[in-house]
Amino acid sequence: MNKILLIIQREYLTRVRKKTFIISTILFPLLYLALIFGMSYLGAKSISNLSVAVVDSSGYFNKGQFERANIADSSLVMTLLNENPDSLKENYKSEGYDGFVIIPASQNWEKGIPNVSFRADKKFGTSAISQLENRLNFLWADIKNEKLGIDENKKLIISTSRVSVVSEDLKGKASNEKVASTIGFVAGFLIYLILLIYGSQVMMGVMEEKTNRIAEVIVSSVKPFQLMLGMIIGIGLVALTQFLLWVAFIFIIYNITKASGSKSEMMGNMVGQIQNTFTNLNIPFILFFFAFYFLGGFFFYASLYAAIGSAVNEDMREAQSLSFPITMLVIISIAMMSISINNPTGPVAVWGSIIPFSSPIIMMTRIPFGVPGTVPWWQLALSMSLLIGGFIFTVWLSGKIYRTGILMYGKKPSWKEMIKWALRKN
Amino acid sequence: MPILELKHLRKYFATQKAVDDISLSIEKGQIFGLLGPNGAGKTTLIRMITGIFYPDEGEIIFDGKKFDPVKDIGKIGYMPEERGLYKKMKIGEQTLYLAQLKGLSKAEATKKIKEWFIKFDMHTWWGKKVEDLSKGMSQKLQFVTTVLHEPKLVILDEPFSGLDPVNTNLIKDEIYNLAQKGATIIFSTHRMEQVEEICDHIALVNKGQKILDGTVKQVKQDFKENLFKVSFADPVPAEHLAIHLFQVIQKKEKEVVIKLDPGFTNNDILQYFMNKGLRIESFNEILPSLNDIFIRLVEGTPTARQFQEINA
Repeated sequence: MNKILLIIQREYLTRVRKKTFIISTILFPLLYLALIFGMSYLGAKSISNLSVAVVDSSGYFNKGQFERANIADSSLVMTLLNENPDSLKENYKSEGYDGFVIIPASQNWEKGIPNVSFRADKKFGTSAISQLENRLNFLWADIKNEKLGIDENKKLIISTSRVSVVSEDLKGKASNEKVASTIGFVAGFLIYLILLIYGSQVMMGVMEEKTNRIAEVIVSSVKPFQLMLGMIIGIGLVALTQFLLWVAFIFIIYNITKASGSKSEMMGNMVGQIQNTFTNLNIPFILFFFAFYFLGGFFFYASLYAAIGSAVNEDMREAQSLSFPITMLVIISIAMMSISINNPTGPVAVWGSIIPFSSPIIMMTRIPFGVPGTVPWWQLALSMSLLIGGFIFTVWLSGKIYRTGILMYGKKPSWKEMIKWALRKN
Repeated sequence: MPILELKHLRKYFATQKAVDDISLSIEKGQIFGLLGPNGAGKTTLIRMITGIFYPDEGEIIFDGKKFDPVKDIGKIGYMPEERGLYKKMKIGEQTLYLAQLKGLSKAEATKKIKEWFIKFDMHTWWGKKVEDLSKGMSQKLQFVTTVLHEPKLVILDEPFSGLDPVNTNLIKDEIYNLAQKGATIIFSTHRMEQVEEICDHIALVNKGQKILDGTVKQVKQDFKENLFKVSFADPVPAEHLAIHLFQVIQKKEKEVVIKLDPGFTNNDILQYFMNKGLRIESFNEILPSLNDIFIRLVEGTPTARQFQEINA
């Protein structure tokens, strides 16, 4: 037991002291933030400043209407012109428009207007088109209201009388699907990343011991199983360390924004919102299960990756082709995740969260929706015991493959041979 | 008392009888040569002695008791043929780690490492990484890590591969040193001249079976062919060599190599030559080298072992 601690210590310290660990720990959250802010910034920028000329053959629209709307939302400027479409086609660019809209003539306003066409020499994407569409519909609604004799008061009544659905549990407490699915998504995705990144780290670590020819030196001091388990646990602790550092990082950022939030109203609102949603969720409960599924999933997959690493030689391509089926299992799980978030009580979600290979990811997407509401206790208990049984099985199986593989040099074994190693007694 | 006794060890793999009923006894303080061609089963045998493999059948007695890998592993030092170290790890830390895995405490290990590093002139290496070392240097380091915990039994598989003559001698001296202090050394190789020089006792393994076992002296006696080299002060007349006592194998002007016919002794030959009035300058028995014996015994063995069906 003492020896396995030594191995864990070595595997942990050599990795945590590496520059790549420190850099990736700091850089990942920064990159993530940059990605989110960068995307929303670019997204905001790409829609703005679209300027469009309008030719109205129907005669229902008027200039003032367009101008009022332009002032309300300046990201889209529409200007009603009295030109004919043919000359506009030649001139729209020189007049400073990005494109032009042709509203066709209409026989009868009650039947609406036929398709409006937007013409330009380049494509603007669906978001620009839907913005145009919304603007025209908004204006068209005004025109219809006027024709029907609906005054401002009636308009107000129409616009405020919307039906909203609020989702609640049986005690009448509001449940927040949006927050639950976000947390489920983040948790599932994190486990997915950890399984792939740290799983392959285990594989490479084992391969390194084999290529350095140190494996036989070590197994003359400790059992191969201890060496394998030591590496898996050591790397698992590295993953846990990195995760905890990120949590601490988020906590610090949250507190900083909270402190500065009192000054800016927007920040204050955001912090208030976050506090509000988090009080609805049982955070320690979710964190406990995150830790459980993270560790269970890690042991399940890391031991399989260790077995692959022990079987192959130096060649990275060999390792990739042999580990492909295992990587596939992780990727299938992430594909099932989006189905599970949309319908957390559907068959894919239920079975996916019970079967050990996908349960670490799928169960984590379901738990934030509520236990025992969305996830009954029996499902949770079954999933947890199957995962424990599952990783005990894969660790045992991989231990047998590892014991033979780590001392074998030469030809890459097939899956069939590896299964033979696993089934061989001692 | 023997430090290690192997009784009818067997280890079969899917396609090969790697070790097929081998029994051996190795005395304390011996330098024991384990010989055999490639693929003879030496490594499998050693892996069973070091607790890496369990024998399918048979028994290992270590230091008077049944071998218990978990307990006895700290008393064994093993330098495998496929050996290496963590390339990116600092040498001091790495040696310490390997020593601790053998069961030494940190303080004890540090003290011993320092002693060895001074002895081998390696004290400047502590903070360096293995990747900075030459092959010879890392071999020396590997040897140190093997014997650092003062094992009762040291197993060295091709210990001199990749070493220059100076370092070879350094390690050789250390091997003698260890044996003198009471350690037993199993030395596995196919370099016969080294075996002849270093070992007291040898066993030859081929196709998973022991085909020879004994002291170097005894083995040579057993395989001698009664060849003698006689040199004379004057040229030998040919008519003196035609005699029933011996056959001439090789003849030069003043020197002959003869094979004694059965039933006669060395004295008979000497007497014969003296009676003929020839002046003898030297008279030596030619003993076979281990290399000759080795080749004679394993000749006919295909260079690679054939795969065989195992019904076990």
